[in-house]
Amino acid sequence: MIEIKNVSKSYVKGKKSVDDLNLEIKNGEIFGFLGPNGAGKTTTIRMITGILNIDEGDILIDGKSIKKEPLEAKKNFGFVPDSPDMFLKLKGIEYLMFMADVYDIPQDKRKDKIEELTKKFEIYNDLNNQIQSYSHGMRQKIVICGALLAEPKNWILDEPMTGLDPKSSYDLKEMMRQHAKSGKTVFFSTHILEVAEKLCDRVGIINKGKLVFVGTFDEMKQKFKENASLEDLFLEITEKQ
Amino acid sequence: MKKVIKLTNIFLKNSLSNMDAQMGISTKSKSRFLLYGLLFLYFAGLIIYLSYNLLDGLIQIQQEEIFIGMILFMIFGFAIVQTIFSSINVLYFTKDSEYLLPLPLKPYQIILARTNVMLVSEYLIIFLVGCIPLIMYGILTGAGIVYYITMLLAVILVPILPVLLISIIVMGIMSFAKLTKNRSKFQLFATAILLVIVVALSISTSNMQDDLTNEEMAQMLVKANGTIEMIKGYIPTIDYLIEALTTNNLLTTIVEVLKAIAITALSFVMYMLISQKIYFKGLVGNLFGGGASHTQKGIKQKEYKNSKLYKSYVGKEFKSLARNPVFLMQCLIPAILIPIIMVIITYAGLSSDGMGFEQINQMVGQMPINTFMVACIILGVIQFFTMFIYIAITAISRDGENAVFMKYIPVPLYKQYIYKIIPNIIMYMVTIIITLGMAEYILHLSITTLILLFVVATIMGVLQSLVMIIIDLKRPKLSWDSEYAVAKQNLNLIFPVLFSMLNIGIMVGMVGLLKNINVYLGLGILAILYIVATIAINRYVYNNQYKLADKII
Repeated sequence: MIEIKNVSKSYVKGKKSVDDLNLEIKNGEIFGFLGPNGAGKTTTIRMITGILNIDEGDILIDGKSIKKEPLEAKKNFGFVPDSPDMFLKLKGIEYLMFMADVYDIPQDKRKDKIEELTKKFEIYNDLNNQIQSYSHGMRQKIVICGALLAEPKNWILDEPMTGLDPKSSYDLKEMMRQHAKSGKTVFFSTHILEVAEKLCDRVGIINKGKLVFVGTFDEMKQKFKENASLEDLFLEITEKQ
Repeated sequence: MKKVIKLTNIFLKNSLSNMDAQMGISTKSKSRFLLYGLLFLYFAGLIIYLSYNLLDGLIQIQQEEIFIGMILFMIFGFAIVQTIFSSINVLYFTKDSEYLLPLPLKPYQIILARTNVMLVSEYLIIFLVGCIPLIMYGILTGAGIVYYITMLLAVILVPILPVLLISIIVMGIMSFAKLTKNRSKFQLFATAILLVIVVALSISTSNMQDDLTNEEMAQMLVKANGTIEMIKGYIPTIDYLIEALTTNNLLTTIVEVLKAIAITALSFVMYMLISQKIYFKGLVGNLFGGGASHTQKGIKQKEYKNSKLYKSYVGKEFKSLARNPVFLMQCLIPAILIPIIMVIITYAGLSSDGMGFEQINQMVGQMPINTFMVACIILGVIQFFTMFIYIAITAISRDGENAVFMKYIPVPLYKQYIYKIIPNIIMYMVTIIITLGMAEYILHLSITTLILLFVVATIMGVLQSLVMIIIDLKRPKLSWDSEYAVAKQNLNLIFPVLFSMLNIGIMVGMVGLLKNINVYLGLGILAILYIVATIAINRYVYNNQYKLADKII
């Protein structure tokens, strides 16, 4: 479970990039975080993951405060950043083994998990090559594998579908569904409204740092125009501001 | 032409923007400006001092004109070395090339802008190392205004030919050698050739001794002038410019300068014609070529073996350093190469004087070796050798935008800082061992002195590593378009040099203060001083581990 309580963040004095954000992502839920460019999505994700300091408020991951108990909180999530260009000089297997050491995954378990994930994403045969030689999609896949290796209860993914081929995208969405089904949490940001509609139990829309809507798509339709397309609804909510 | 100027400006801003930020331009810190101003004055002073000594010697034997040839050749050589390092990165490995190709720009505009970037980078340093000695020449020989105008033209013209020449060679290799498919191997190959040249040059020039009088040095330069005479036939611009700068006839000066300009312009036209034919072939091949070789091997059981986090983390750091040619050459290799080159130079220099190690041993036998002063000199030498180890000062910047990884994994930042500086400490220790091995071979130090020297130097290495990672955390260069920007065009790299100079200053001060102290006691005091400083800095890093990472976002 991820609880965001009265969180604010300013980069420039007097201008809040995230303003008094309150959000609760329950166990067993897939939550989509939407918003136009520069709305505060990445800032929020960076605060949840401890990359950015929180000015006001707090964020709890399974009850652990990212401010007060950062290490304990970080053990409770797996994070996929928006850019997969990381550790390019390492081989795929070296990166995954490094991640396994970081999250202290037992030796007997890591082999099975690595094989399971990399075979699912069809990159097992490429693990002995440097990540530098991977395509954008393959890099995205190896980063996802690294984040999911430790079987974290909470998944936090920043634009995870970018660069994935249709099959991998389908597989990831299936994995997200299964993860939520087993009573765990998925929090992800996306620009693809159709993905959010089909996949998410609830969505949150942020605009100019403020949360302007939280709920299911049905609630969104009820609240705004019943017959409008998803795109129209999104534009209406964000442009109203 | 407008587009070329705009493109050049954008390229330059891109590569220099972080340097501006690092220098504190448009930010509050005037002290940083002052620091770089002082550094400039220091280096300028050093160049003035050396130039004065050389010129003084040459004037005494009425051969001062040789100085002009030496400086112009130095500029030429400097431009060659710099371009070997920078051309492949500027021409092929900057990230913006991919975005540039679809734009409505003519090929010559891109090539000209790229070439301008290389030239401007050359001029930044060449104006310092080239202009100052030539101005000294003008002052000491009482030259007139014509000399200074010609001098400026010479400094502008001389680096152009080497930049064009090396760029064409690089373009040729990149388009024909198929090495473009593996950027890393190509860079390693090119840099290895350069290193061989550097070592060879070191050996060939190793007859130069530090303790020569100005006159003796001048005699040697006169001998070297024969070599210049021989080579300059192949580099006509230098020949013409030497003539233009040393003649008293205004007409000759004008004619010779015009000849140099004509040759340079002709070379430029040829360069543009050839480069338009071959540059884009290599560039496109590099950007969209086959990529690195791909194997489809299965994973062996032993590859799944888990290891302690520190081992895994340090291993990752070493792999990232060793597998990246720029980082390998700039950060790892100097620790081994610099002391070895110095050993070769010293040995070759002594051998040329008819002295082998046996004779040195005899000479050394009559000297008081086991003294605090000798110990401090050895520590000073170690500081000199280690000032070019850039592992800790680039520990954060090397990760680029990926450095945020440190902040979201469940590992304390302090631990990660320590893991990141361990390669620096290890390479520092390698340098210490090579230097102490050399010192032991020549001086036959007692084992206790050797151990104490090792301990003190290692503590200095730990302190240096901690201080450097603090600097990199406070002034990281995370947004870069090629590794070259971190390992070369990074103003932070001045700090290891400053740190070593400070330590050398401390050694000199200690020798002055504790001249007759027992060597063990003296080294013990030094060890305590550095341990206290290291503990204090380490505590600072530990207490501020999260605050220090504020710039990593």
